[in-house]
Amino acid sequence: MRLKDQNALVTGGSRGIGRAIAQAFAAEGAKVAIVYRGNREAADSLVAEINNKGGKAIALQADVADAASVQACVQRVEQELGPINILVNNAGVIEDDLFVRMKPEAWNKVIQTNLGGVFNFCHAVAFGMMQRRSGRIINISSVSAEHVNMGQTNYSASKGAVNSLTRALAVELAKRGVTVNAIAPGFIETDMSAPVRNKAGDRIAKFIPMRRIGKPEDIAKVAVFLASADSAYMTGQVLTVDGGLTLGAVAE
Amino acid sequence: MPTQDEIYSKVSATLVEALNVDEEDIKPTSTLQGDLGAESIDFLDIVFRLEREFGIKIPRGELFPESIFQGDPELVQDGRVTPKGLEELRAKMPFADLTKFEENPEVGNLSNLFTVDLIARYIQGKLESGNQN
Repeated sequence: MRLKDQNALVTGGSRGIGRAIAQAFAAEGAKVAIVYRGNREAADSLVAEINNKGGKAIALQADVADAASVQACVQRVEQELGPINILVNNAGVIEDDLFVRMKPEAWNKVIQTNLGGVFNFCHAVAFGMMQRRSGRIINISSVSAEHVNMGQTNYSASKGAVNSLTRALAVELAKRGVTVNAIAPGFIETDMSAPVRNKAGDRIAKFIPMRRIGKPEDIAKVAVFLASADSAYMTGQVLTVDGGLTLGAVAE
Repeated sequence: MPTQDEIYSKVSATLVEALNVDEEDIKPTSTLQGDLGAESIDFLDIVFRLEREFGIKIPRGELFPESIFQGDPELVQDGRVTPKGLEELRAKMPFADLTKFEENPEVGNLSNLFTVDLIARYIQGKLESGNQN
């Protein structure tokens, strides 16, 4: 029980990587607040699943891009569970398009959710963590920040900025026992990557030395390490978890 | 209205919590940065705790004036605080004793102004002027 008596908040926690992280944290003894935007059923089913296994979870709706919504959400979580020890900024969206025809709305939405959301939630919890002299902030980034693809200028920009924010915030909070790290997943089996995986089929595995697409649990286990006391001397790092994808070796 | 000693005592206790230092390390003349190891993030925490402890509101820049530190060329030139800058300091920090600083107004020495004693005098001033929350 590596996270016993810790209170965790996971944005985008109803599905995909966020869901796996919430489950993993709960299994390690943490109480988990699952923040979702629209998929209430998924969030509620996860809460039920965790509570039935003897854990404690609550679900709250919030729009990560809306500072007021985020503040209100954090306040409610702290009222119900207590001070937030672990924040996982996992909520993210993609709106891929070729740059020359990308609409401003597509650019703004991705930046405001993927980057603005991280700002809003970090801002709502950082001072409290700093005063308590302990905390864990984990930002879910992407290999796309550095290992770029066609059609993802907005997404790559947002994740690159998250990496820089991770480093800069780590410096400010380090003295107060708050670590700030990021995980850059490669190709993971989630709703977000489903369209690409459907189109590409088996071809993707050729680019991944481990010859398999990652599972949300692969990311969740690293998140547990970052959330735990074991990572106490580590901060400002972006951990790539991609089965070797970004090593650049293509199958023979 | 608490006595001077009571105010000093509470300020000292606040600094112990905010800066994670021992009570014995805190003297009236202790400088926050030099002696007690405070950094900018600690100043924020100190203001927050003082507000809560004494039930007062400390507007941004009133206790720890930021304008001088921004490097405004009217207030700071070549690393020294200008006469205009000194005026600004006197106006913003009426509770501070600037005589020693004025002898050698190097920006680097500004931090020596921020002593435990200064905070206690500031709080006293706020409470006397009825500035309660």
